[in-house]
Amino acid sequence: MKKALFILAACMMATFGANAQNLTGREIIQKVKDRPDGDTRYGEMELTLIKKNGSSRQRKVSSWAMDEGKDTKKMMFFTYPGDVKGTGFLTWDYDQIGKEDAKWLYLPAMKKTRRISGSSSKTDYFMGTDFTYDDMGSRHIDEDKHTLLREEMKDGHKCWVVESVPVDKHEIYSRKVTWIRQDCLVAVCAEYYDKLNKLHRLLTISEIKKIQDFWTICKMEMKNVQTGHSTVIEVKNTQYDVKIDKDLFTVAKLEKGL
Amino acid sequence: MKIEKINEQFGKFAERLLSVRWITLIAFVLILIVSVIGMKRMVKETSFDDYFIEDDPMLVKTEEFKSHFGNDYYIGILTQCDNHFTKENLTTLRALSNELLDSLSYADKVTSLTDIEFMVGSDDGMTIEQIVPDEIPEDGSQAMEAIKAKAYSKPHVARKLISEKGDLSWIMVKLRTFPKDSVWKQQGSVSPDIITGQEVEHIIKKPEYASLNPRGAGMPYVTHCKSVYIGKEMGRLMMIATIICMVVMICMTRSVRGVVAPIISVIGGLFITYGIAGWTQMYVDSTVLMIPMILSFAVAIAYNIHLFSYFKGRMRIHGERHKAIVETIKEIGWSVFFCGFTTLVSLLSFLAIPIRPMHCVGVISSMSVFFVLMTSLVITPLLLSFGKNQKPIEGFTEDSDTKWTKAIVSLSDKVLSNPRKIGLSFSAICILLCIGLWKIEAAFDIERTMGIQVPYVKEVVDVGRSELGSLYSYDLIVELADNDEAKKPENLQNLDKLQQQIGTYKLTKRTTSILDILKDLNQTLNNGDTTYYCIPKTEEEVAQMILLYENAGGTESEYWIDYDYRRLRLMVEISDFNSAQVEREMDQIQGDAQKLFPNAKITVVGNIPQFVTMMQYLVRGQMLSFVISILIIGVILMIAFQSIRVGLIGLIPNMMPAIFVGGYMGWMGIPFDMMTATLLPMMLGMAVDDTIHFINHSKLEFDRTQHYQSAIKRTFRVVGVAIITTSVITSAVFAGFCTSDCTMCINFGLMAIIGVLSALIADLFVTPILVKKCKVFGKETSNQ
Repeated sequence: MKKALFILAACMMATFGANAQNLTGREIIQKVKDRPDGDTRYGEMELTLIKKNGSSRQRKVSSWAMDEGKDTKKMMFFTYPGDVKGTGFLTWDYDQIGKEDAKWLYLPAMKKTRRISGSSSKTDYFMGTDFTYDDMGSRHIDEDKHTLLREEMKDGHKCWVVESVPVDKHEIYSRKVTWIRQDCLVAVCAEYYDKLNKLHRLLTISEIKKIQDFWTICKMEMKNVQTGHSTVIEVKNTQYDVKIDKDLFTVAKLEKGL
Repeated sequence: MKIEKINEQFGKFAERLLSVRWITLIAFVLILIVSVIGMKRMVKETSFDDYFIEDDPMLVKTEEFKSHFGNDYYIGILTQCDNHFTKENLTTLRALSNELLDSLSYADKVTSLTDIEFMVGSDDGMTIEQIVPDEIPEDGSQAMEAIKAKAYSKPHVARKLISEKGDLSWIMVKLRTFPKDSVWKQQGSVSPDIITGQEVEHIIKKPEYASLNPRGAGMPYVTHCKSVYIGKEMGRLMMIATIICMVVMICMTRSVRGVVAPIISVIGGLFITYGIAGWTQMYVDSTVLMIPMILSFAVAIAYNIHLFSYFKGRMRIHGERHKAIVETIKEIGWSVFFCGFTTLVSLLSFLAIPIRPMHCVGVISSMSVFFVLMTSLVITPLLLSFGKNQKPIEGFTEDSDTKWTKAIVSLSDKVLSNPRKIGLSFSAICILLCIGLWKIEAAFDIERTMGIQVPYVKEVVDVGRSELGSLYSYDLIVELADNDEAKKPENLQNLDKLQQQIGTYKLTKRTTSILDILKDLNQTLNNGDTTYYCIPKTEEEVAQMILLYENAGGTESEYWIDYDYRRLRLMVEISDFNSAQVEREMDQIQGDAQKLFPNAKITVVGNIPQFVTMMQYLVRGQMLSFVISILIIGVILMIAFQSIRVGLIGLIPNMMPAIFVGGYMGWMGIPFDMMTATLLPMMLGMAVDDTIHFINHSKLEFDRTQHYQSAIKRTFRVVGVAIITTSVITSAVFAGFCTSDCTMCINFGLMAIIGVLSALIADLFVTPILVKKCKVFGKETSNQ
């Protein structure tokens, strides 16, 4: 069985290689988006926010996710630090362009759940990190116009270099250049440029592993080169296709806690 | 060494110089070319942080503050129109806010009526949204009324954004931390704060925003405006100084060379100095750059007048050009060199003031004086050497008088015959002026130092005094003993008490801290009920609310609470600046904070504490600088004349400018500022020139005559006219400053004139009496 899988994988690689010349930027990004990642997922995330002066904040989160068609539902519970332990965060990410994602936060200290909607700023950052919600995977492919710039080696891996320019001019970046590993369809590096076309943020993915036959990002860092602030996200104990009840992704479960 | 021997050396130097005059002139031109290339590399610094020298405690505190809370500089824009709540005005305001955020190189976040984290709560949800929706409704519609109602629904938000009548609005631009000097200097020669100020001016002056009459505020904008104003003003004042210099020199010398020589000396002095500053990337501050320039004019005129005056006298006697030059350098060279040397040493005493612009004045002015001196001693004689010999005036000898020397000799008779009257009058005036010295105070606020006659000062002061704008700010940092303590409700309650106390201070306009966000969040989470506009009850509630805020897209909390939850920041904006009042309030805030947080470290940082610290440095440094100048000049006089008595007596007339200028400042309420603070040591350096000329020549004449009365009379004849002329011309050059709109320039000019003339009066009336009474050169051996 293993041998058969290997042959299949080798064939797929060969196909990728053969078609590489003909792929458009959009097709490459679509492939990345469609990379298999199971129907459900579990992981324990450690978020470290680091200021330029070296002081840092750490947060730990247990996260469950389930795909529903093209949409994704996620449930996260904070496990560290103590004063936010038990705080739950439920999100429903819609694939449809223009449909706002739904987010609820449960605050155990006040025993209150609040639906969070809208955002004041154009910088919709995820939990105070340097990652935006879009960076975390909820951006629709056609919200950008993608162009394949070139192919080149990056850290010993053959990569496609794709430039993505937002359709909506009010996005926080004017363009994004991404290095996508051709062997595993994972972006290993991305540069985000601001409106003045100066480098704003730099994403580096330093640890990619195959878990349960799924290529998995285990460690990534986003650095805002203009402010010197950075965020490191480490994902541990990743599991795919875990048994999760559909009802987990409801406000009632959110209030019930872990 | 006897003065005669020194003079011999100067004579030999003149002879050698004349033999290589073409080579010297070519070398001078080459040096000027290299200097001009270097000048283009010169970096003028303007940032307020740059005022402090490295490792200064205030700088260390500011750096620590920045590492936790980011840039303490901000840009404020006040817009003014009949009513902001119209489709047209809101659209323009949004466009302006967007352009500020998008186009300012260092913009971090913009807060305005059209761009704000406005929290709205309901039974089950919470939104951080905009007051003004994407689609701006038509005028007079219900939707427009709803926007207005929403803007005023939270008074604590409204008071930072929109005036009660809706005619004013305030845009606040938070800035990213500016890169370090070593980083931005690699990319260009304009500092980040100036770039920001330039960009702001460019944006707010665009015609599309004219309907909102935007006016700027905030340190980078003010610094940029100041830099532009000073640049223009400096050019204008230099032009006036040049014209005055040319007119006076043409009247005095009645020759083209007489006009060209001091200008070449100034050009030589300044170009070489700035060339070196450019090549060595020396710190040069734009605020004080005028001082070395005007000083160069003053000394160039003085040195050249002395040289010309003697040269003309010799030409009248024998008419031989080269011989006259050698005699001039031989007789006057040492005095001129000695004057320049004491002036530059006196200027170096500015290094005692631990503020970088003062160091800049010290170093750049000393260098300028040195190179002006060198150019005067080398190039002026060469300029005079070209041309034919003249016919001597028949019967004109060393003892012949012109109408001017006749007048001055009769003045010497009067002075020497009324020592008592003169002494008593001087003593009485000095006592009166000394009382005024104790009334002097330092000031750094632009209104008092620059004055509202200056257009940009009027603009920023008006903005500061408006209902919404602010002029300056300072930050109080409460550093608690352990991490996470800043989230404890008891500490937040104390911060609230402190914020309320500060709100009652006379100068406080507005205060901001993490409490504004937390109270607003608490209210929002409780369905907008205003009774919940208070601090949450538990640490967990605080932590979870901040988490909620961040997850909802809130980004402002990190400006007010640090990453370790150990430091709390309280920003106090003030609308006005009164040096004494602000110092009192800062002491009070420190005391109040320490009482509320007995175990915490309390630090006050920002522009205002920097002002106050600098004032203290300036006052202390001024005194020290002046004392050092006095001591150095005293020692130099003692060494040069090989007599302690001459050194001490020579100091007495030189104290006069300090007493006159200081007394005038005290009695007239003129404060110490960056320019006036430089006056006293500078005056001392210049006043000593007249004393040196006088004592040097009277010693020479005493050695020849061994009789005080005759020596002093001959001294008056030889150097008297030159001393008066240089003082009058120097005063005329400084008078150019009085044509400025800028208060500190007017004060500087006026007090420089007082200083120069008081030194002259002292040298004409007091020095001769002291020389004669104290028999400074020993006993007389001749009766005539």
